[in-house]
Amino acid sequence: MGALSLRQGLHLAAILGLLGAAAFPLYWMFVTSLTPSAELFADRARLLPTLSEAAAYREVFRTIPVATWLINSAIVATGTTVLSIALAILPAYALSRFRFRGKGVFGFALFATQMLPEAMLVVPLYGIFAQISLLDSLTGLILANTAFTVPVITWILKGAIDGIPIEVEEAARIDGCSRIDIVLAVVVPLVAPTLAAASVIAFFHGWNEYVFAQTLVSSEALRTASVGLAGFVGELSTPVHSVMAVSVIYTLPAVIFYLFVQRYVVSGMTAGSVKG
Amino acid sequence: MAAIELVHITKSFGPKTVIQDISLDVQDGEFLVLLGPSGCGKSTLLRMLAGLETVSGGEIRLGGRRIDQLPPSDRDMAFVFQSYALYPHMTVRRNITFPLIMRRFRWWFHIPLLGGLGKRRIEKLPEVSDRVDRTAKILGLTDMLDSHPRTLSGGQRQRVALGRAMVREPEVFLMDEPLSNLDAKLRTTMRAEITKLHREVGGTFVYVTHDQVEAMTMGTRIALMRDGVVQQYGTPREFYQNPTNTYVARFIGTPPMNLIHATAGNGALQVGQTRLAAPTHLAAVTAGSDRPVLLGLRPNAIEPVGQGGAEILAGRITLVEHVGADTILGVRLDGAVTAHDDEGAPSSDVMVTVPGYSLLALGDTVGLRTTLDDAVLFSPETGQRL
Repeated sequence: MGALSLRQGLHLAAILGLLGAAAFPLYWMFVTSLTPSAELFADRARLLPTLSEAAAYREVFRTIPVATWLINSAIVATGTTVLSIALAILPAYALSRFRFRGKGVFGFALFATQMLPEAMLVVPLYGIFAQISLLDSLTGLILANTAFTVPVITWILKGAIDGIPIEVEEAARIDGCSRIDIVLAVVVPLVAPTLAAASVIAFFHGWNEYVFAQTLVSSEALRTASVGLAGFVGELSTPVHSVMAVSVIYTLPAVIFYLFVQRYVVSGMTAGSVKG
Repeated sequence: MAAIELVHITKSFGPKTVIQDISLDVQDGEFLVLLGPSGCGKSTLLRMLAGLETVSGGEIRLGGRRIDQLPPSDRDMAFVFQSYALYPHMTVRRNITFPLIMRRFRWWFHIPLLGGLGKRRIEKLPEVSDRVDRTAKILGLTDMLDSHPRTLSGGQRQRVALGRAMVREPEVFLMDEPLSNLDAKLRTTMRAEITKLHREVGGTFVYVTHDQVEAMTMGTRIALMRDGVVQQYGTPREFYQNPTNTYVARFIGTPPMNLIHATAGNGALQVGQTRLAAPTHLAAVTAGSDRPVLLGLRPNAIEPVGQGGAEILAGRITLVEHVGADTILGVRLDGAVTAHDDEGAPSSDVMVTVPGYSLLALGDTVGLRTTLDDAVLFSPETGQRL
């Protein structure tokens, strides 16, 4: 490989610059979490972590119920993901393949739900959940989050299903598939990359969600990490050290989930089905 | 028994009727070709046979049993799509095995992992794997069984689609322009392969195409359609020698049949200034007094000869195409008018096929002789055979 041309050099510099801008807050969070408390407010910022401070992480787990928060967040995020996808596939298929009265209105209504902010819905939702005993439960939280992710995921999946040649489904009908067999055995595998992308959206929504988690859940044992983390911000002081350590811990599972899923987010799955 | 009966079949999409009262009897083991231009309803008819489209009126029977209300999977018919329609996420083996898996399908096959194991178990059953291996061997796919469709060429994909149809051992094979996506050379090869398949596998084949060469070479019987109506139903030979109307006459044959305005009467045909004695098979039409007719002549029934003489049509060369074994000549006739029904205005040009390499050049004047042995006559008003 020869030396980089000026053009390549500029590209590389631009990419590194953008990468740095995106990654620096994460890095700064990590460095701050490993900075001795005494030096947190020093005049000169430390750019390198003090690895001897790693014990701070153990301390966080010992003194704060971080593990419980993370488990709760994981339950909510996973539940939201699974439920959202399970509920979105069939309407997405119907929107893509069937002609029915009110289809346009149905599609628009799905979009319209996205125009309402969570904060506006939290009070009525609280009232409804109180009546059906879903307050202060992770199930209720999962349902509330799912209500917000299903419309988006339905539209995303509809777009992907539109791209599947209809002949492939007709071939499956001839081969003996019922409609539900077609959806599960042919359509779902073919939209797998989109499902992966949709699951990222749902998972992150469930993982990051704050307003519902703060309002609909009150027990300490059911608190999610987003609420727990926000609870550090005190009126008089904020333990920056611990906040950053918990933030790192809070961020990691989401990053790992994304890394795990992103390899499925590849296009070209339908290549070879029909002529092309 | 896989005899197919179509009884007064109609199909409408909203106010538009695309199939108008079609009735056909297809014998068991027949290779029926549904032929016609784009939009004539041939694919719709095939899809109605398969159950992919509902029937607006009439009945479809297979071996005497009414099937038009049955779902596609209960009709014992396999369908080969123009675009192959393979399952891209499955290997060639799984694509071919899929119809057999669906026969033994259980609801829990939809459960991830568990379903995969169930499907694999079916795939490994001796009666299934033997059948798949046998099919793959016939189609030359043995080495590709573990590949995915995206790695295969167009011809190989089409063979996988055929394999998926064959493995079910259906009573009827339905094929919707299966060769139209292939290049000319591969199409010729696959044409022969499908004909061989029909001979070896048996069963009734219904094959849709707009290519008259495919129809003439593959079909044991052809139904030529236009605007949702069957124009003629018969053997390829009947189509070539005895077209029922000018549309059929012009659709079959390359170049198509020449249609020349003539006057029939007193045992002869008058074309321009030339009087041609009518052969015996045209005696009935030419017996009476003079009446206008359209004289149908195949290009190979006309021969360029020296100028002048009795029963010779004079003309000038307007086109010379050397296509290898033959030369195609366009000749503008003196004093005669041709009727080229679909292709526009009447002219005076006829097409002539000459064996070998003709030395005639553009602008040469020639005389044309025809024996009228295979000539056919049509009514100029209705276009129907006289």
